[in-house]
Amino acid sequence: MSNAILEVKNLKKAYGSNMAVDGVSFSVKRGEVFGILGPNGAGKTTTLEMIEAMRPIDGGTCVLDGIDVSKNSRKIKQMIGVQPQTASFEEKTKLTELLEFFASTYGERVDTTKLLADMQLSEKADAYPESLSGGQRQRFSIAAALVNKPTVLFLDEPTTGLDPQARRNLWDLIESIRDNGVTVILTTHYMDEAEKLCDRVAIMDGGKIIALDSPDKLIKKLLKRGFKKEKQVAQANLEDVFIDLTGKELRA
Amino acid sequence: MMKQLRPVFTFAKIDIRRLFRDKTGIFFIFVFPLIFLLVFGGIFGRETDISFNIGLINNSDSAFSQNFVEQLEENEVFTINEEVSSEEQALEEMNRGSVDALITLPEGFGAVSDEAGYPSGTAEVLYDRGNEQAGVTLGSILESVFAEINAEFVIVETPFTVAVEATEIEGLTTLDYIFSGLLGFTILSLGVFGPTTVFPRMKERGILRRYHTTPIRVWQYFAANVLSNSFVGLMAVALMFVVAVMLFDVSMRGDYISLILLTILGTIVLFGVGLAAGGWAKNENQAAPLANLVAFPMMFLSGVFFPRFLMPEWLQTVSNFFPLTPLIDGLRLIITEGRTLLELGPELAMLGGWLVLIYLVAFRVFRWE
Repeated sequence: MSNAILEVKNLKKAYGSNMAVDGVSFSVKRGEVFGILGPNGAGKTTTLEMIEAMRPIDGGTCVLDGIDVSKNSRKIKQMIGVQPQTASFEEKTKLTELLEFFASTYGERVDTTKLLADMQLSEKADAYPESLSGGQRQRFSIAAALVNKPTVLFLDEPTTGLDPQARRNLWDLIESIRDNGVTVILTTHYMDEAEKLCDRVAIMDGGKIIALDSPDKLIKKLLKRGFKKEKQVAQANLEDVFIDLTGKELRA
Repeated sequence: MMKQLRPVFTFAKIDIRRLFRDKTGIFFIFVFPLIFLLVFGGIFGRETDISFNIGLINNSDSAFSQNFVEQLEENEVFTINEEVSSEEQALEEMNRGSVDALITLPEGFGAVSDEAGYPSGTAEVLYDRGNEQAGVTLGSILESVFAEINAEFVIVETPFTVAVEATEIEGLTTLDYIFSGLLGFTILSLGVFGPTTVFPRMKERGILRRYHTTPIRVWQYFAANVLSNSFVGLMAVALMFVVAVMLFDVSMRGDYISLILLTILGTIVLFGVGLAAGGWAKNENQAAPLANLVAFPMMFLSGVFFPRFLMPEWLQTVSNFFPLTPLIDGLRLIITEGRTLLELGPELAMLGGWLVLIYLVAFRVFRWE
């Protein structure tokens, strides 16, 4: 078994004459949290969707755990978990029912009680998704992505729109999922999030990867080039103040 | 294979539960067709109670006329308006439509004349010209009442008589005929308006996209929806039946197995139409006009509200090829003529053709986002 669970080589996707993904190559190690960063329109989501077998691959190859994605889309879907950006679920459907349905699409059954407990949603088992708060919805969305016990979990902007407490709570959850041996590939706009969670990050712009390394090394490289912040770096920032004042306790 | 069917059954089960939690869905699937049934049932239902509101003025003090008034009061055909005491008042009430006619027993009505030895007289019936039917009916009812009385006084052997007897066969009412059209309408609105609203909305909200990240296959998702909608269609038709039979005495001459099987087939075909349209449309703006384009011609030309035999021949020929037409015709033949499914060859052939065609199209044009 190779150390890399995902090998992406020269991946390409064109929308008309626009190269949304323009020759992207990287590999993800088994059991790490890998982040894809970049401004809007950089091609992050398109890259993820090609790896997830959601979108046809126009060029290049993508091999996940030894399986060629473009040739075995059903097999790939069977072994991954996906939380798409702004995931939404059918209304008037209990969370347990939704989980049962998602599990059934993999031909499996799921212990909904345990899964919901792991995501701190036990008391919401009979609730409908439209009654959940933002943080609860994201946690449920991750629960739904875990019903098939995936080898790789894809999270597309998992913490966008959440309050600082819910964000920290989700970080803990993602770390505990990683600790259970699941490889996590995520996109985010928050650099603090990437720094905290990701073992390595790829920074994309204009459909290309322009940097790929661990957050620490990327920062050191920048400093080596003589970069200096205009403002003296303080020992705390405003978010630290916010968390200190309002506590880490998860709301709603 | 069982593993492949698990999502079908799981989804169908949840889908049915979800529907019964959704008030809007319940309204459009169950209540809306019922409203049509109540309206049409009210208009065309069995009219058993012919009754007349009459004014009665008795100017005679004879024992016979007293007796006659009592008889009229007991007669179920007449409801006597006690407030009418003068012709003037009666005319006013007739003008308003609250009284159909006025019966006046003139002075000396029913007095016994010396030469004949039995009572005689002429009852005067007054009705307004706009209510000809009431006048004629009332006249003939009174005449038959008098004929009976006359026969008691003057024994006459009548050479010709008419024997009238009701047969066991109950004739079909207009509602019996329209009812099949209303069942068709129920299935049409479930099959076409449902999915053309729901699927595009689910696409806009990314719900179908989320499903697409799982290994679910299009046929599994279709089968699940077909299953739940067939079940719901059967429930809706059953409800219509119960109400129609209980409230409006609609007659069912065929067998229920044929009815159930045809209902399921019809629901699957019409749901296929909705699935093709809603599965293709990217958003609600695309779907709504498409749904109307598909549903309205069927609603008006397949015999839901107007019988097709009233249409010009070329239009009948065209509407023969709509999927709703063989369904309504088939339901009508089962309900009003007692045919079985095996005797519905042409209708089944047309529905079968649509079944294959529409699902081929639906599979081709379906998109998850």
